Amino acid sequence: MMPSVTIELPSVLAPVVNGERSFTVNAETLPGALAALFEIQPGLKVHLFDETESFREHVLCFHNQTNTRWMDSMDVPLQDGDTITILQAVSGG
Amino acid sequence: MTVTAMLGTAKGGFIVRSNTDRSAWTIDEPLFKGWKVTTSARDDKGRYFVATASDVYGPALHVSDDLKQWKQIEKGPSWPKRRDRKLNQIWTLHLRSGRYYAGVDEAGLFMSDDGGETWSPVDALNEHATRSAWAPGAGGLCAHALLVDPSNPDRVWCGISAVGVFRTEDGGRTWHPKNQGIPQVLEDKDHKDVGYCVHGLIADPEDANTIYRREHNGMFRSRDGGDHWERIENGLPNWFGFPIAMDRRTRTIFVHPMESDEYRMPADGKFRVYRSRDGGDSWEPLTNGLPQQHAYMGVLRGALDCDQLDPCGVYIGTTAGTVYISTDAGDSWTQLPCTLPRVLSVTVFNDA
Repeated sequence: MMPSVTIELPSVLAPVVNGERSFTVNAETLPGALAALFEIQPGLKVHLFDETESFREHVLCFHNQTNTRWMDSMDVPLQDGDTITILQAVSGG
Repeated sequence: MTVTAMLGTAKGGFIVRSNTDRSAWTIDEPLFKGWKVTTSARDDKGRYFVATASDVYGPALHVSDDLKQWKQIEKGPSWPKRRDRKLNQIWTLHLRSGRYYAGVDEAGLFMSDDGGETWSPVDALNEHATRSAWAPGAGGLCAHALLVDPSNPDRVWCGISAVGVFRTEDGGRTWHPKNQGIPQVLEDKDHKDVGYCVHGLIADPEDANTIYRREHNGMFRSRDGGDHWERIENGLPNWFGFPIAMDRRTRTIFVHPMESDEYRMPADGKFRVYRSRDGGDSWEPLTNGLPQQHAYMGVLRGALDCDQLDPCGVYIGTTAGTVYISTDAGDSWTQLPCTLPRVLSVTVFNDA
C-alpha cells in the first residue's frame, strides 16, 4: 500500500479546485504525489509549474517542514501521514 | 432583458448588472478573487470566457454558461516547452466566426476550432520572419488587438505591441505587416516593417476595410484594410492614449486621451472621454459627470466598452478603480458606487 499524504493549497488557488484546500493522495515520492494531484485536479498543473515543468518562481513547496528548493533531489520517499504544502513565496513587500 | 458587465481588475472580476434603463446597478462579490481578470468575452453560443492571470500562478482561461459556475479550460493557450517562451497573460479573445482566437503575452496568437476546448499556436504569425525584431512596449510584448472580417473569416488583423499590425488573407497561413503611414517607435537593423506600437484596433461593423487604430504616436484610420493609414486627430487634445471602442449601431467612436507617453495621466487633471460621430474626422470632449479637477488616473487599453443599446451606453474603468457609465452616448456620466482595484478590462453583455 502506497503512503497516504496530504497536499495543502493556498486559498487563492481555491477557484481552480472548486474551493478545496487540501487533497489526500497515495504516492511513494514527492513527484509521484504531485502527479497524483494533477491526475485528480488537472487544472492545477499550469499554476504550479512553468513552461520548463519546474515550480513557478514564486511558488514554494514544503515536504513537512522542509522547503523542497533546498533538497538535493525531489525524489524523496514519502511516509504515511506526510504533508506537502504549497505556498506563495513572500516576494517583495 | 438586462445589461451585464464584467469589470476585470487586478484583484478579481466584478459583475455589475442593471435592467436596460441602466439607472440602478447591482455589484457582485469578486469573482476569481486575488486574480487579475485580464479580458472576457462571450461566444456565439452564449458562453462566457474569462482570462485570469497571477504574477505567482500564471494565466488561465475559464468558461461558464451562467457567470456562476466556472470551469478552467485545461488545454488553453500555452507555449510549447521547446520555445523558451512564457505565457504571462491572455490579452484578448475573439470568439466569433467558428474559429476562436486568443492574443497573449509573450506575444503570440492562439486559435481554437472546437469552441475553445483546445487551443493551438498560430505558428505563421508567432514564428514570423520578423520575430527576432519583436520588442516589448511598457505593457509587455503582447498580442492585444484582434479583428476578423465578418464577411470573410480568413481575413484577420492582429495588433502586437511594440511590433505593429499584421494581416492575414488566407486564414492564418501567411501574415503581412500593415503599418504604412504609422511613425515607427523602434527601428530594427534588418526588419524595417516592424517596430510600431499599436495600442488598439476597432473596425467598422459593415466595412472591415475601415479600421481605426489607437497608436502610441496618435490616432489613425485606414480605408483599405490596413494597407495605408492616415492621421485623424482633429479635436483631440493629445495624441497618446490606449482604449478605443465603438457603438456599432451608430458607428460612434470613443477614446480616452492622456497627456503623453511620459506622463500617462489626463492632462490638467481633467478626466475626459472624446467622441467622434463622423468616422474619426472630428472629436469632441465629453465632461458632464466626469471629474474635471484633480483627476490623474489612467485608463488601460481594455477598460472601455459600449453596450450597443439605443441610446448607447459607454463604460470606462480607471487605474484608480473608479468606473463611469454613460447611458446617453457620452453626453452625461455617473460613477458606479464602488471603488475597485485597478481596472484592467471592461466587457459589456447586453442581453445576458
